[in-house]
Amino acid sequence: MSEQQESLISLDKAKELVTLLECGQVEMANEIITNIQNENSDALFEKVGVLTRQLHDSLEDFQLDTRIESLANDEFPDARERLNYVIEMTDKAANRTMDAVEACLPIADSFNDRIQQVMPNWKSLMSRDLQLGQFKELCKLLDDFLQVSVSDADSLRQYLTEILMAQDFQDLTGQMIRRVINLVQEVEVKLVEMLTMFGEASKPLNKSADEIKKVSGIEAEGPIMNANERVDVVDGQNDVDDLLSSLGF
Amino acid sequence: MKKQIKILIVDDFSTMRRIIKNLLRDLGFNNTFEADDGNTALPMLKNGDYDFVVTDWNMPGMQGIDLLKEIRKDQALCHIPVLMVTAEAKREQIIEAAQSGVNGYIIKPFTAATLKEKLEKIFERIQ
Repeated sequence: MSEQQESLISLDKAKELVTLLECGQVEMANEIITNIQNENSDALFEKVGVLTRQLHDSLEDFQLDTRIESLANDEFPDARERLNYVIEMTDKAANRTMDAVEACLPIADSFNDRIQQVMPNWKSLMSRDLQLGQFKELCKLLDDFLQVSVSDADSLRQYLTEILMAQDFQDLTGQMIRRVINLVQEVEVKLVEMLTMFGEASKPLNKSADEIKKVSGIEAEGPIMNANERVDVVDGQNDVDDLLSSLGF
Repeated sequence: MKKQIKILIVDDFSTMRRIIKNLLRDLGFNNTFEADDGNTALPMLKNGDYDFVVTDWNMPGMQGIDLLKEIRKDQALCHIPVLMVTAEAKREQIIEAAQSGVNGYIIKPFTAATLKEKLEKIFERIQ
């Protein structure tokens, strides 16, 4: 037992108590004990009183904090909308880009086709082995090719600009996400305040959350953001291939 | 590699389905169909004599890993090769997929070359 600990009864009082009991003065002895008990319970009541007041004040503060109300009523639904908007914007941008790419591909294909058409006569021309008829044919093909190429080049430029413009989602969604991050940060602060207020009670909760995390080893998690800080995830396709081949794949 | 084989692409994001569809078309596979999760995919597979499945893991409704297990459980479907294309990167998950009978596992983000390589590898094994 530590030395600082206060005994519930002083040495003098105890001696007095023993003397009284030895003399058979039970009534007075009982009085001493009752007094000591009252002293102790008074201290206890005082402590409980202080704690109750603190709890009351904290809860009062908590209720008075209108920020929490507005977080729950307005900002959370707002954040949800913002995140949905981000999904929408990225979806639109991806589709805009893919539309443009899909429109470019046939242009590239026809470009290639026309070159293949011109090529045989062109090669003959370069090796000075071209008949007049073939030359006329070549001129006609080249003329068509040049004419079409002008408008094709123009289309390509338009589609490429379209792809460029579709990237504006990065800026817009970035701003949206930043606002949501700020909100999450604020909620984090409020939660920490709450935890400090109800300090001890939070400890077992933490533990069970960890345990839940551990159980779900194959639970879907989505993209891993800090892959190099974690040992339980692979780092890219090569790692996957190595792992699979170690399993006999 | 038979180019006319019937392929089902399962992913909850239409963008990713479109990317995979385009990549497959680039590789000469034009006979592709789409489903947005396992629950949609499974009846399609049961009624549609598909030859190949490309599936994501993390989807609402039935997840890709459960779709894989359902395919392997079903006598009529268990022969269909399944290629997992997913952002799920935990070793435990990859082992689980392998033990459930996956034929290939591609981690997102992936390249066209990786998709081509894994497809070729799977077909090589089957033939």
